[in-house]
Amino acid sequence: MSVLRRIADSLFWAARSLERAEWRARLVDVDYRLLVETPVELSQPWTPLLAIAGEEAAFAERWGEPDETKILEFFLFDRGNPSSIRACIETARENTRTLRHTISSELWLDLNTLYLDSQRWSLRELESGGLFGFFSDLRERFYRLSGIVSATLPRDLGYDFLTLGTMLERADNVTRLLDVKYHVLLPDVADVGGPIDLLQWAAVLRSASGLEAYRRAHGNAIRLDRVVDLLLFDATFARSARFCVERVGGALARIAGGTPSASRRAADELAERLACASAADAIAGGLHEFVVGAQSQCADVASAVFDDYLRFE
Amino acid sequence: MIASSAYRPADGVFDEMFDASLAPRRGCDRVVSDLLSLGLAELVEMRRRADAMFLRQGVTFNVYGSEEKTERIFPFDPIPRVIDAATWAELERGLVQRVRALNAFVADIYGPARILKDGVVPRDMVLSSPQYRHAAVGMTPPLGSFITVAGIDLVRGEDGRFYVLEDNVRTPSGVSYVLENRVVMARLVPTLLRTCGVRSVESYPADLLASLCELAPGGEPHPTVALLTPGMFNSAFFEHVALAQLMGVELVEGRDLVCVDHELFMRTVRGLKRIHVLYRRIDDDFLDPVVFRPDSLLGVPGLAAAMRAGTVAVANGIGTGVADDKGIFAYTPAMIRYYLGEDPLLPIVETHLLRDADVRRAVLRDLDRYVVKPIGESGGYGVVIGPKSSYRELARARDLIERDPKSFIAQPVIQLSVHPTVIGESGNGAGPIQPRHVDLRPFVLLGAKPRVLAGGLTRVALREGSLIVNSSQGGGSKDTWVLGA
Repeated sequence: MSVLRRIADSLFWAARSLERAEWRARLVDVDYRLLVETPVELSQPWTPLLAIAGEEAAFAERWGEPDETKILEFFLFDRGNPSSIRACIETARENTRTLRHTISSELWLDLNTLYLDSQRWSLRELESGGLFGFFSDLRERFYRLSGIVSATLPRDLGYDFLTLGTMLERADNVTRLLDVKYHVLLPDVADVGGPIDLLQWAAVLRSASGLEAYRRAHGNAIRLDRVVDLLLFDATFARSARFCVERVGGALARIAGGTPSASRRAADELAERLACASAADAIAGGLHEFVVGAQSQCADVASAVFDDYLRFE
Repeated sequence: MIASSAYRPADGVFDEMFDASLAPRRGCDRVVSDLLSLGLAELVEMRRRADAMFLRQGVTFNVYGSEEKTERIFPFDPIPRVIDAATWAELERGLVQRVRALNAFVADIYGPARILKDGVVPRDMVLSSPQYRHAAVGMTPPLGSFITVAGIDLVRGEDGRFYVLEDNVRTPSGVSYVLENRVVMARLVPTLLRTCGVRSVESYPADLLASLCELAPGGEPHPTVALLTPGMFNSAFFEHVALAQLMGVELVEGRDLVCVDHELFMRTVRGLKRIHVLYRRIDDDFLDPVVFRPDSLLGVPGLAAAMRAGTVAVANGIGTGVADDKGIFAYTPAMIRYYLGEDPLLPIVETHLLRDADVRRAVLRDLDRYVVKPIGESGGYGVVIGPKSSYRELARARDLIERDPKSFIAQPVIQLSVHPTVIGESGNGAGPIQPRHVDLRPFVLLGAKPRVLAGGLTRVALREGSLIVNSSQGGGSKDTWVLGA
């Protein structure tokens, strides 16, 4: 059974929005842990969040000078920020509402419950209940959603569009994480390799659920090239850019069903780049440049998907 | 039996659950002993659990008013309405008879128009009905089926008989609440539901799908069926999604569809896919901008032509609204005799056409005893209830009627039957369960054969004394339990 263009579009965006919400939750959570563990000198622990998300300007326009409360509000609950966790959940739920006949009722029920609960969230409630509790609960709910997706949905074309949304967003997010760590968290080159640097790299890995994977592969010593290797080029780590882009390629191959397509070509190009590059090369050529290039290729894939399958001619 | 001993049926109306001696009616004993005996706290808790289930499931309708849209749940009362097997069997026969005749009427007036030539229904009333559609003239749908889905509004008078108040044969809604109410009741009172031997409503989606497939053009053995919705901003959107999901068919919007060479297709990621049967839940006027409103984006250009070409069946057909016109309603008993040669099994509420000068004079003399309805409206809009209206409101109604008598009908005020309903602490000494007025909308499917959903939607007017059950005006709903034989 094929899938309507409109439905495919909604599936794609529902998955993308949910992934974005989850990533946001991870970022804030990790940053909060970092704040708890970091020596006091680090005066602005929350501002990197804005840089990682690429939303300094959007924040300034709505909230002015950043402080902890404002940034949390902007990141978590602000309906005027289309990328806040609440707004992303709303977008995912609105998209799902129009296609709930094509997904499992379990998935709808769980997502709708998350949406209803998100309507009651407030910063005051969050602070009184504790940030740790809030985020660990939220993380579990996102895991449950992805479990329901995996346990109840048929692996059909619709599923492939869900995969596209999730994996493109995840690939994009992991590259942003690396980029901003490199340029913003630690602008002073003298600090590279120092204790704060290591703490921060550990936090970055943790936000991608990668700290344990890193330790198993490379031991306790955290080195930039190995972090880059895990987050960008590892073929088995489920959140590496390469892993995600290969999933995108697989989904596009199934969707295209043997016929050549621009979107598949774009995804294959990016996958090949990630498979062939090494961390040493990427760092030598400028990690920032490499990461920006990968982000722009992700955007090319998304726009080719739109042209190939979602646009109403 | 704490609550039931405090329960007092209202005077002069038919109580659905108790007879005049306050004994439970046929089939109601267990509901009375198990539910009406509960205390206020337990009843309120049941209602709260029900509301939470509806909200979580997303069983909501959209309300517009202030700047933000809100999703509301349809208030639900946990005390079910019980209909015993014999009463239902009789109702079911009457409903099938009625829908057959209405369908024959629609097919006739857009075809040979015998009933007009024979003078049984006045030609000018049909042609001037706001629901008459020139685009339907000469259409010959598969099986001669214009009305595939009908919702018939019934009320029970003081005498305990069911009367037809109104027919809905365009895009009747509400059936998803019937299905969801049962899901909720099955969780709230599983044992009671089973011991009462309540007939299942679960087969409705399969029955609907079967009825639709039977319309497939050219006897296509594996037709593709789709449900056409105006989109998520429509107040019945939840129902459209629910029915598509339960039938396992695609839910489409106008922009998903395209007509090519008089065939209907939907746009998929792998190109166009043919549709054989379209269950549409948008009004005639928006269905096809080529023949109806040219500004409509909700429908599909060329759909009417594809219907004529016989490549797609559309349910319900175009122009069926002429059969639920409030004026033509007065002629429905005559239609049953005319087309079926049978006496009507279900009486209708006495209906006076104010176009007739003598009738008009008589009604206007006692206007405060009638309900006046504008012919072209639905959903309770523009209705004037004589006994509840002020002198000024009556004067205005009189003025409107005299200016345009053809646009109004009058019906005597029916004291709708009442049903025990959870109200809570009222402060007037009445118990937590009080009588409230109810109606009933059963659903009838007409494919190759008729299929009737056991029960239907029981709506309840939650405000004390109110006769208006519409959800937009403070109405709620109950589960309807038809007992097995």
